[in-house]
Amino acid sequence: MLVSYNWLKDFLNMDGVDPYALAEKLTRSGVEIASTVHPEDGLSKLVVGHILTCEKIEGTHLNKTTVDVGEDEARQIVCGAPNVAAGQDVIVALPGAHLPGGIKIKKGKLRGIESNGMICGLQELGFSDSVVPPKYADGIWVFHDPDLKPGDSVFAALGMDDYVLDFDITPNRADTSSMEGAAYEVGALIDQKPKIEDVVLKEDGADWTGDFTAVADEKIAPKYYLRKLTGVKIAESPLWLQVRLWNAGIRPINNVVDATNYVMLLTGQPMHAYDAKLFDKTKKIEVRLAKEGEKLQLLNEKEIDLDPQDIVITDGEQAVGLAGVMGGLNSEVTEETTDVILEAAVFDPALTRKAALRHDNRTDASALFEKGINWDNTQKALDICALILRANAGATVLAGEIKASDLDKEAVVITTTASRTNKILGTDLSMDEIVKILGKLNFPVAVNGDEYTVTVPNRRWDIFIDSDIFEEVGRIYGYDNIKSTHPATGELIGGYAADEVKVRHLRQLLEGQGLSETINYSLTSEELATTFVKKALAPVKVNWPLNSARTTMRQNLICGLLDTVAYNFARKQTELQLFENGRVYDMEGGDYHEHEHLAAAYVGLAGESNWQHKDEVVDFYYVKGQLEDVFEMIGVKDVEYRAEAIKGMHPTRTAGIYVNDEYIGLIGQISPVLTMTDKNFAGKEIYVYELNLDALLPLMAKGVKSKPAPKYPAVQRDLSILVDEDVTNAQVESCIKENAGKYLVSVEVIDVYQGAHLAAGKKSLAYRLTFLNEAETLTDAVVTKATDNVQAALEEKLEANIR
Amino acid sequence: MDLFDRLKDLREQGLAEIKEAESEKSLNDVRVKLVGKKGELTQILHQMKDVAPEKRREVGQKVNELRDLFNEKLASAKDNLIEKAIEARLEAEKIDVTLPGRRKHVGSKHPIRIIQDDLERFFIGMSYQVVQGPEIESEHYNFEMLNLPKDHPARDMQATFYVDADHLLRSQTSPVQARTMEKHDFDKGDLKMISPGKVYRRDDDDATHSHQFMQMEGLVVGKNISLSDLKGTLELVAKHEFGQDRETRLRPSYFPFTEPSVEMDVSCFECGGKGCAICKNTGWIEVLGAGIVHPNVLSAAGIDPSVYSGFAFGLGLDRFAILKYGIDDIRDFYSDDVRFLQQFRQEED
Ligand SMILES: [Zn+2]
Repeated sequence: MLVSYNWLKDFLNMDGVDPYALAEKLTRSGVEIASTVHPEDGLSKLVVGHILTCEKIEGTHLNKTTVDVGEDEARQIVCGAPNVAAGQDVIVALPGAHLPGGIKIKKGKLRGIESNGMICGLQELGFSDSVVPPKYADGIWVFHDPDLKPGDSVFAALGMDDYVLDFDITPNRADTSSMEGAAYEVGALIDQKPKIEDVVLKEDGADWTGDFTAVADEKIAPKYYLRKLTGVKIAESPLWLQVRLWNAGIRPINNVVDATNYVMLLTGQPMHAYDAKLFDKTKKIEVRLAKEGEKLQLLNEKEIDLDPQDIVITDGEQAVGLAGVMGGLNSEVTEETTDVILEAAVFDPALTRKAALRHDNRTDASALFEKGINWDNTQKALDICALILRANAGATVLAGEIKASDLDKEAVVITTTASRTNKILGTDLSMDEIVKILGKLNFPVAVNGDEYTVTVPNRRWDIFIDSDIFEEVGRIYGYDNIKSTHPATGELIGGYAADEVKVRHLRQLLEGQGLSETINYSLTSEELATTFVKKALAPVKVNWPLNSARTTMRQNLICGLLDTVAYNFARKQTELQLFENGRVYDMEGGDYHEHEHLAAAYVGLAGESNWQHKDEVVDFYYVKGQLEDVFEMIGVKDVEYRAEAIKGMHPTRTAGIYVNDEYIGLIGQISPVLTMTDKNFAGKEIYVYELNLDALLPLMAKGVKSKPAPKYPAVQRDLSILVDEDVTNAQVESCIKENAGKYLVSVEVIDVYQGAHLAAGKKSLAYRLTFLNEAETLTDAVVTKATDNVQAALEEKLEANIR
Repeated sequence: MDLFDRLKDLREQGLAEIKEAESEKSLNDVRVKLVGKKGELTQILHQMKDVAPEKRREVGQKVNELRDLFNEKLASAKDNLIEKAIEARLEAEKIDVTLPGRRKHVGSKHPIRIIQDDLERFFIGMSYQVVQGPEIESEHYNFEMLNLPKDHPARDMQATFYVDADHLLRSQTSPVQARTMEKHDFDKGDLKMISPGKVYRRDDDDATHSHQFMQMEGLVVGKNISLSDLKGTLELVAKHEFGQDRETRLRPSYFPFTEPSVEMDVSCFECGGKGCAICKNTGWIEVLGAGIVHPNVLSAAGIDPSVYSGFAFGLGLDRFAILKYGIDDIRDFYSDDVRFLQQFRQEED
């Protein structure tokens, strides 16, 4: 809502009220003011000129004019506007004038003819195209005001001396979407009661209600009032009214349309004017829900198929308007219109909102209806509109009005206490202060001890409960005046849930390993959502996805990391070590599930490349080593890696990760089928791991129980064996661990060889076994016995040759 | 030449030779020659019989003095040579210390996480619990429990991702409020919680919109919680996050689940309040929304609004990061260019 400071003077004494200070006050206490605009700012030397002569310049579209601008001599000005003519009062920019956009007017010559200024259209003064009256849209502006004299500044006449406050209204404060509503709000803040006057309309025509019927269903149109006027002469509205419209962002059209818009701005009550001729045949108006198959062409010429939930205005047979949204083209007021029927009504907010949305046709009127309007303003709006039409269009107001529905709204009455008000606001206001504040809002209050009762006027339909009253008291008292305190909640212990601490610890560990944290989108394609998982579950898909790449909630984090890899590759960033911690989502047994995951992706070199050529390229074992470090740091033991085929992963370079036979994640290379075919990845080897933290977190060590460092030396023995190439390290290690006795503390692979020096189908493995007895020095005999056992077991179980 | 002259010559010659020896080996040769068992000094002693008896004592004394002198000089010459050898070796080991070192990758924390972690610690310090809730949420918790009944204009189907008739991707972290209040046992004390997490809106992604972003919800419920407590708390948040010298203001606003509702602005960090493009010439930047928990929300969670009251606030972690680090495209958070991410390594957190 654009609120005119000058218009506010109709209701309030604005002397000494600085518009910018008022804007700040409103923002802090009522409605945020998005901007305060003073249209004449930066403009100068714009005056009224009277065109004395105007002659066409041969061979051009230009005219040579002489213009009286209140100086001793008339000025010669060349003008290209199609509508320029002698006798007009126009806007003249004198040489030296400043126009918007830094334009400065100079004396000059056009086609060799001297021109001492410029005759302007409204757009040249900074008016938006959307508010310039259609008649002057493609030419210069012409005044029709006999009071204007050549040489007068145009700013006051055009309302450019005004200050326009842009009320950024939240849905609950739609009561300020009118000048009267704004005046009440401003009045509360500057402690003045606004002069909101009732109107007295003396009808001057014959009664029309005898042979006209109107029917409206109270449920969809609780108030429906009509008046009829005859003898309307369509013309331009007086300038003062046009000024008020355009400063509010509304384009003046003609005296009838302007009157309805003006009344809407003034009262917040949307109005509609029908050409009465349309109803000559049926003599009837009916407000009802639309019927299946019914059609209507709106004023903006849009053809719509009506929905059974649309409220329509009909002449008893055909639709003539979409109630609360827009009138029909068939009942439009035109140049030929002489008689009009004026409508002021209250329509159901939800139905109006849905109709506007359904037909993609939101209007100022529908916006007002959907947020609610003042039920007490229907009569007044109708009567003011009639008065204006009589004044501006010479209309006769026929006697009588028709109220097809007229449901009264009872005022909301709220009783609460001063102590509760203070408790919620954290204030220390006396009853007197509270009553005074509510008085500024013009709310009647009755006091009974600590208790007070507020009767809320219908113009404030946002107020229902005591909390709403507390907000009114608080904001008018001023949030700036409220103390800053801290909640007295007694002793509470803050912190994270145990799992949250573990997740944050893991994130820190990965960051410490040199990985950059990423956050990726949860929504991906169904295909990617279900790739890179051991077992895809039922996908969670959104209705009406924004695009085909974001349809399904991810079941893995790898897909997002790959998006990030591709994005970075495209920007020539090919050394990547990334991770993400976040949720994955699936559906099982009709329930939605969310699981906390952690995943990492590695591409390129393990460290920064260097001049010593000691580069290490990331491979499976590098990434596995990093992951093993993580497990070490969180105290997760006995992790098993089982070669496994997983969709999207390299079939022979991928392992499922298990602890106690429970699957907790995967590690491996992204399938070359994917990296070779997708040009984003340029065939690079991408290694990843992904862990299900829901499974991993319970396995994490819980605190440390310290023990002293060993006092006795450890003993190491190396063991070299020859086995079939199919034998895995895991098989050998578990055989060693099972047979080496209780003093074995570690088994380390120190060499793996397969090749020319060995028989085909064989490989050689070397291990370093470390033994330690924490109680005493180990003897050679004990260790030898242990290694003998190991050797025998390897020979027997894995057909190993000891070398 | 008598022995005294010989000793005198030997002294000069010996000292010169010690001085000239350039290696441990040649020094050793000099030592053998001068003070060895068959060395010059020994030879002089052997000639003692030719000396007059009254002079023998003096000769003996001179010889011993000279032996001591030689030994001393030999020892220090040897030390010198060893030192020189070490010096030579170290010189040969010289490297160019200005060449760059071998570097590992250095990790980085996501900028939104920096804000999140920092705020979490800040609130934990004021004894808030950090609570999580589901992202696939029911209409019941996302709307109804928050005083947004069916047909409420703010429940725009177009703006929310539904996954079935009554489940959706939460459009705010506020449903965690409702879930937490419902479960909380007020006999065990008041409730103070924050809940960070992802939220979703059906917006096309552009520089200022993202279909996914992160919020942090805060809630305090007790028997004596007031708007002034909210004001004091929010001021601390603003100063903690945006600097002690920032001014703040509360403005009336509207959220269905709070009444009164407010928004907080901080004075523009760019222009300090004079007005610039960043603050749209207002001098103020909106940072969060908050309010006193609506009685309907308390009632829905089974809490008696005539006994308990509370305040709630919601802030955008993305928005905080955008404001704090001067980021101009929200998509940067989710496309994750490593050069964008790694600049935040320098942020202390
Ligand atoms: Zn600024």
